[in-house]
Amino acid sequence: MRKMLMVTTIGLMAACFAVSTAQAETYKLAISLAITGPTSDAGAPYAKGVEDYVKYANDEKMLGDDMIEVLIRDDQYKTDVTKRNFEEFLDEGIPIYLNYSTGSTLALKKDFEEEKIATIPASFHAGNLVDSNYIFLPIQSYSNQVIALSEYVVENSKGGVPKVAMFIHPSAFGRGPVEDTKGAVEKGLKMDIVEVVEHGKDLDTTATLQRLMSKGVQYIICHTVQSPVAVLLKDAERLGIVASSFGEEGKITFLGAHYTGGNDLIDLAPTASENFYWTTGYTLTSEPGPGTDLQLKIAKKYGRDDKTANSHNYTNGMMVTQVAIESMRRAKEHGKEINKETLYDELNAMNGDNAYDPLTTTGPVTFSKDDHEGVDKLQIYRVTDGVFKSVGEPFVPKYVVKN
Amino acid sequence: MTYFIQLLISGLVVGSIYALSALGFVLIYKSSRVLNIAHGQIIASGAFIAYALTVYAGVPLIISFFLSMVITFFLSMAVERVFLRRLIGEPIISVIMVTIGLMSIIDGIIYLTPFGSTNMSFPKFFPPEPLNILGATVSWTQVVGVVLTAIIIAALSWFFKNSTLGISMRAVSDDQLASMSIGISVPKVFGLAWALAGLTAAAAGGIIGNITGLNFDTLHAFGIIVFPVVILGGLDSIGGAVVAGVIMGLIQQFAAGYLDGNWGLQGTAEVLPYIILLILLLFKPHGLFGTHEIERV
Repeated sequence: MRKMLMVTTIGLMAACFAVSTAQAETYKLAISLAITGPTSDAGAPYAKGVEDYVKYANDEKMLGDDMIEVLIRDDQYKTDVTKRNFEEFLDEGIPIYLNYSTGSTLALKKDFEEEKIATIPASFHAGNLVDSNYIFLPIQSYSNQVIALSEYVVENSKGGVPKVAMFIHPSAFGRGPVEDTKGAVEKGLKMDIVEVVEHGKDLDTTATLQRLMSKGVQYIICHTVQSPVAVLLKDAERLGIVASSFGEEGKITFLGAHYTGGNDLIDLAPTASENFYWTTGYTLTSEPGPGTDLQLKIAKKYGRDDKTANSHNYTNGMMVTQVAIESMRRAKEHGKEINKETLYDELNAMNGDNAYDPLTTTGPVTFSKDDHEGVDKLQIYRVTDGVFKSVGEPFVPKYVVKN
Repeated sequence: MTYFIQLLISGLVVGSIYALSALGFVLIYKSSRVLNIAHGQIIASGAFIAYALTVYAGVPLIISFFLSMVITFFLSMAVERVFLRRLIGEPIISVIMVTIGLMSIIDGIIYLTPFGSTNMSFPKFFPPEPLNILGATVSWTQVVGVVLTAIIIAALSWFFKNSTLGISMRAVSDDQLASMSIGISVPKVFGLAWALAGLTAAAAGGIIGNITGLNFDTLHAFGIIVFPVVILGGLDSIGGAVVAGVIMGLIQQFAAGYLDGNWGLQGTAEVLPYIILLILLLFKPHGLFGTHEIERV
């Protein structure tokens, strides 16, 4: 009798295990990005953000018994490698894809269309959205970030029409916002764009700064990566032309879009970055809140160092993963199969009452069929005593451009 | 006038740093006729070694800076001994391919460390107030860059002109077979050339790192940025590297100061040095001071 009971119990347990195994699914989430090579200072913490949030989602059973497997591949910022990685990911059956650079997002745009796969890149280039149905920018485009900074200049500048120069990266990434900002000026933004400067690998930007000073430039809006901005700020500090308060007369106030700022800029130009104004759609750990608490908790849980834990690129990686996993969770909640089509639909439905607040951003993520820019609100931050501090409340730029 | 002086001084400063960065190329080419494609990686390594000694080991910055030069001296010598010594006598293209491989290896090693994907700055060492020269401002880092370049160039010039080793290196540069026949150790000369190139690269890395901050992409790019300087000066001329460096620095600064932003021009500071390089090479194909080899058949 006892033997029979034991056999029955074991049999029942085995049956239950078989049933639960059969029901639990594993979904694949993939990203190709520059963990080494150019821009890896952004890519490496970004990858860690993706990896850690997937681990966290699995540990917290966000998809119930279903698991998420993350595939992270280093493409060294090479588009051909990104394409190869993407094709391998497709073979793995991914339902959603996270991409990285502007160059590879533009190059693979047609592939995303053909494969009908929702893609969230780290690039906020407005051109990504032109003739595209499947690319979703996590936050406002670079163009709208630069327009937001321009609006901030116009609203807070004293005296006449503010004179502005743009300091941009010599690439599609850098040039993207120039025409859109000029468009905003044509539409009524009262600002004089005196000059657009495409930087090189400069060791000394004295000539550029003095030329701009001689033209009466009061504000320089930067849209590039941190390193050239650090050189510019250090030279401006040496020349004694950095405004100590916004719009200080006879000095220049420096501002920048997402990839110009963050702790990396302070690390590269510790004193010269003081009073630098920066905009992004992400929360920062220097301004604690529920999102940053979550970020620091996750970073600590998975053994990340302080630098990574406090990097806005780590936040960025985490946030795109939050959005991707939330789309999976919603599809499951709605009783749908998790696949390319359902996740695409869930992303497009993320608006109104269904908007998603990941807490790591300065506003909710709102996608729709006609709007593939996620977080509409941008926050201005300013370096004060060596850390970025909020200036005012998050806002939506008025002259925003939608593609 | 102050504007002109500022551009002049900035041009001289940038030119000196270009010259210092270009010296490593010239030293290796001068002795072995090899272009070291991994030179930018050695520049970056020098900067990171100085930073690691200062921040992680607590060595004062100035001592770290000189220690990094010594360490890179021996590291480069080791690289030559391990990877390149056995290629003596092989076609030059093979050796250049090895330096490309070396570039990938150093890249890989640096990406395994925090330096590969993190931005940093040297601790503050120089006074924050700039120097004022005739109304123009120069940072102390820039002044040190110019002075260091001058000292290294003077020391190398003396070395090549007066020391036995230096004269041996010139002899090997001139004719390897003849040098061997009179008892000069060609492998030893190659090793020394690489070591000296490493030393100058570390010096350049320390200075550039102080100016731009420590970002691997930015630092190793200088190995390529100074290439026109090396070509313009003449691949095997130390004096040529200095003159070409200063010419390039001045062209960049004056183009940025007077041409860019005027008459619809943009980016001339980036392009003009290359245009002038091309024009000069039409008339002086071996560069301003490069050796013009004549082969009689």
